[in-house]
Amino acid sequence: MDLLTKVMPPGFIEGVWFLIKEYLPLFLDGIKYTIIISLSGTIIGLLLAIIITPIKIQTISKRDKKIMLILKRVSIFLTTSYVEILRGTPMMVQAAIFYYGLRGIGVDLSLNFLGIFTIPGIIVSGILIVSINTSAYIIEVLRGSINAIDKGQMEAARSLGMTRRQAMLKIIIPQALKNSIPAIGNEFVINIKDTSVLSIIAVTELFYMTKRVNSIYFRQTEGFVIAAIFYLILTFTTTRILYWLSNKLSNTKEKKQVSFPTSQSY
Amino acid sequence: MENILQIKNLTKSFGKQEVLKGINLNIQKGEVICIIGPSGSGKSTLLRCLNILEEPDSGQIIFEDNDLTSVDTNLDELRTKIGMVFQNFNLFNNLNVLDNCTLGQIKVLKRNKKEATEIAISFLKKVEMQDFIYKNVNSLSGGQKQRVAISRALAMNPNIMLFDEPTSALDPEMVGDVLNVMRDLAKSGMTMIVVTHEMNFAIEAADKVVFMDEGKILEINKPEIIFNNPQEKRTREFLRRVIDKK
Repeated sequence: MDLLTKVMPPGFIEGVWFLIKEYLPLFLDGIKYTIIISLSGTIIGLLLAIIITPIKIQTISKRDKKIMLILKRVSIFLTTSYVEILRGTPMMVQAAIFYYGLRGIGVDLSLNFLGIFTIPGIIVSGILIVSINTSAYIIEVLRGSINAIDKGQMEAARSLGMTRRQAMLKIIIPQALKNSIPAIGNEFVINIKDTSVLSIIAVTELFYMTKRVNSIYFRQTEGFVIAAIFYLILTFTTTRILYWLSNKLSNTKEKKQVSFPTSQSY
Repeated sequence: MENILQIKNLTKSFGKQEVLKGINLNIQKGEVICIIGPSGSGKSTLLRCLNILEEPDSGQIIFEDNDLTSVDTNLDELRTKIGMVFQNFNLFNNLNVLDNCTLGQIKVLKRNKKEATEIAISFLKKVEMQDFIYKNVNSLSGGQKQRVAISRALAMNPNIMLFDEPTSALDPEMVGDVLNVMRDLAKSGMTMIVVTHEMNFAIEAADKVVFMDEGKILEINKPEIIFNNPQEKRTREFLRRVIDKK
């Protein structure tokens, strides 16, 4: 293999430079998949959350018909379990169960777009795992934002004869979503870092690619330091972009300070 | 005169606290009823029960031959005929003035956008808000917001309008604008139930004044009798305190 034709220098700094110079394409390939998976995972997770949240926070009224009542109770139970299970188990374990489970029953998730290009099954798995996991967190974010919206908004909508569903879709959720933008952006930043756990199922994101580079010379520290720098560049740039976006979207005249903590502090 | 709304033996408790203890009231078409009374007397709860924003515990509310308290009643349809104006306006914060007034028409009454817009603008003109139709509602003053809220309710062509302390959250100089709109509405023959602390409005515009205390209606009378010669001791005491303050 021509990979081993060059010798890695023994010093730390020289080693870091050597790996960057020689193996940048491998790192960049990892970064590409880290961005693809965390971005699409957050977007799909958000869409899932928008669908699931209204089901989870249904209210039971004495005017509900019997069948409706049972349906509501069951769907509330299911959605609550969904959130509790996904938030209560590590994404690494979820990834392993999902991936090996599907492989066990012989499902191939690779997607082919009209024969033009194919997304490998492993990447699709990664995106799905991140989406499902993120949806559980965003559901709780949205639930909080919806609860924070003045009850009068719902009352005014109902007093005009709108159904609960119409009021949710047209009045409550648009306002809640806008208030949730910083928290959803935060989920994206968390995902950039947390996609690293997908290396357990051999998704070729940044961490996995770093391990691959490390294994060439059996040297660990240099490669992981490079990975850390790349992760920091990614999250730092992302938080600045989100900060700018959120200022742009808030139509208030004065620029509000919106912070995007990069730690999973809750 | 025909009754548009009959309230029969209505009760409502929040936990152990009985807020309404058997309310009976008939409202005729075209009547303007003002409900007065000390805070905590159940005025607002009574009003909120009338379109089932609060679910009553027992009793009946008969609105145009439909019992609103029955679980089989199609509430959403009947609510379009009962306009409601809130103390805190409750304009939809994510929509501009015009969309606030057209959303209900389009979604509930299934009017098309053009028709809904024309109707909305005609009502906004009556409250002199036609120059603000594309404004964000958060940029309006309290008085402007309340006038938009009244237009929003009227655009649904209701048969009765409920006002829950519509001027209590307003700066004093805004109160007049809103009361003028309500006076015009009363003159046009709209049936109105108004919970208010504005005694002057009650004197001028009301056909009947209802005095409530501790979850009961103590006195129903014409305004000139209530304010000049109240029959109940509690009414007299309440009015003395309210009028002394001013």
